[in-house]
Amino acid sequence: MEIVAGLAQGFSVALNPINLLYCFIGVFIGTLVGVLPGIGPVSAMSLLLPVTLSGTPEAGIIMMAGIYYGSMYGGSTTSILVNIPGEAASVVTCLDGHEMAKRGRAGPALGMAALASFAAGTFAIIALMLVAPTLARVAVAFGPPEYFSLMVLGLTILSFLSQGSMAKALLMAAFGILLGLIGMDQITAQARMTFDRLELLDGIGLVPIVMGLFGVAEILSNLERELKREVIQARIGGLWPSLADWAASKWAIIRGTTLGFFLGILPGGGAVIASFASYAMEKKLSRTPERFGKGAIEGVAGPEAANNAAAGGAFIPLMTLGIPPNVVMALLLGAFVIHGLQPGPLMMVQRPDLFWGIVASMYIGNAMLLVLNMPLIGMWVQVLKLPYRVLFPLILMFCVVGVFASGNAVFDVFVMVIFGVLGYLMRKFGYEPAPLVLAFVLGPMLENNLRKSLILSHGDFTIFVERPISATCLVLAAAALLAPLLPALARKRSNVALDQT
Amino acid sequence: MIRNSELWGGLFWLGIGGYVVWAGHDMGLGRLNEPGSGFAFYWIGILMCALSLAIIGQAIVSGGPTLASLWEGTRWRKVALVVGLLLVYGVVFERIGFIPCTLALLLILMWFVDPVRWWLAIIIAFAATFGVWAALTKWLKIQLPSGILNGIL
Repeated sequence: MEIVAGLAQGFSVALNPINLLYCFIGVFIGTLVGVLPGIGPVSAMSLLLPVTLSGTPEAGIIMMAGIYYGSMYGGSTTSILVNIPGEAASVVTCLDGHEMAKRGRAGPALGMAALASFAAGTFAIIALMLVAPTLARVAVAFGPPEYFSLMVLGLTILSFLSQGSMAKALLMAAFGILLGLIGMDQITAQARMTFDRLELLDGIGLVPIVMGLFGVAEILSNLERELKREVIQARIGGLWPSLADWAASKWAIIRGTTLGFFLGILPGGGAVIASFASYAMEKKLSRTPERFGKGAIEGVAGPEAANNAAAGGAFIPLMTLGIPPNVVMALLLGAFVIHGLQPGPLMMVQRPDLFWGIVASMYIGNAMLLVLNMPLIGMWVQVLKLPYRVLFPLILMFCVVGVFASGNAVFDVFVMVIFGVLGYLMRKFGYEPAPLVLAFVLGPMLENNLRKSLILSHGDFTIFVERPISATCLVLAAAALLAPLLPALARKRSNVALDQT
Repeated sequence: MIRNSELWGGLFWLGIGGYVVWAGHDMGLGRLNEPGSGFAFYWIGILMCALSLAIIGQAIVSGGPTLASLWEGTRWRKVALVVGLLLVYGVVFERIGFIPCTLALLLILMWFVDPVRWWLAIIIAFAATFGVWAALTKWLKIQLPSGILNGIL
């Protein structure tokens, strides 16, 4: 009953014309950045973070959330038609989606991707609605040691699942925490690593770091090599999948949705891992695994369902614990914070309109996305034909303007350029930016909870292992840290490790 | 060995880690029951040093790509040009103003870095610059520096 009342309140917020407009703008931009290779949801969200200041908190956060789940939809279009993933979670859709397109079945591939995304997205919202209030009640009992250990677990899992060397990923996480701590100490008011720059007293901004590491670095990496894009020229034809397609895909959608949702909740997990895991599972369970990679529609349906369900699931740790499980949610946390809001167990009690408004807007946004992705597919194909040499100067301009607008300071533009160059070099040298950004956001919370825990325990570290939730998190984190030392597990890790951008 | 990019990467982070350890110690470690401002920095610095040493060790044992090979066959001059342009943009942005700076940036990018037809570059540069300026200043009420156009805009 409480849920029904909450949802009713949520729809009254989400159906407000201004919020509807923001929701539409969010899913539209999300689809656009999903379609366009070279700009992902992280860059788009950080670019638009300052824009959210001009409206109400619910409008801004509804828009930001729309960009995220919208990009999951849009990414599949580029994967299927161009064989270049629009964003990281659609990498695996290229394998069978583009093969289907080459065989004249682009329509059913696009249609199945949109419908599977819709089904999974809707399931994830219902699950979010049912799980979040219960988890929030449990989370009230969390103290500083639990929060500290949970954040350590999140960072460790993200490092474990990152591409390449785990030492490098952990190093990036440590560097991210360090960057997050720059500025005035919250307890002693001592300036830390500010190098006598007044601009650094409040710390480094999230927007310039993210725009540099993801936006500018991506452009620099793309510029140094020719981007070749071959859009499927044949008519796309009917989008509605056949009965045989449905029969082949129904279980893949159900499995992908369930798997994606749980991987989305996991700290450090997310849509990218979910799509890869779903593809691997479908191939393993299939009676005809040899069809995979040659145009099997379940290879499109499963991963697309999984990445959308994960996008929904990722809202749970943020909304109930106030801990972002991935970089995108870290940005959403940033949107909450700039409006003076703190997501967490108390948000549902203090701001039920906001929580339920976001949930209800996700229902509406999912329906909007179905409309945007099915009848308007032709328009997205035209967008895809836009050459990168026209796109990149515009993206660069939006980066500069977005960063300047976020803090009204040129200093931030320089920070963005520095992190752009750093991000470009990090890609060259095999260091991943995702652990850095998540750690940057979690850094101040991590330090705060560590210090509080030590003060509570009079300097006794056993406080972290005496409490069951904290101890469980630390044991899991230790397992993830030690896993690469075992050759069998190291091989498994390299199979699932991926770029989390 | 000396050209190994992994080794240089590790050494770079070792240097940063070492500095963080020193800075953390300098800020004050406090006591375990009342950690000071430098406590977290100090331990993060130590962690960074340990991880950097692991990377250096790996580089010595297993080798890695050479520094030159990372840029082999790439259009690195374009990358350097874009970085340079962005830095210049940052320096002159407030003095010259958003509109002239952005127009110049877009035109240089579309004429010299990755060229498109000259007339198309002009159309895109003007439309994007004035479109963004109008959206930000008129709609979102975000102030952008007028620079040399102060009084005209």
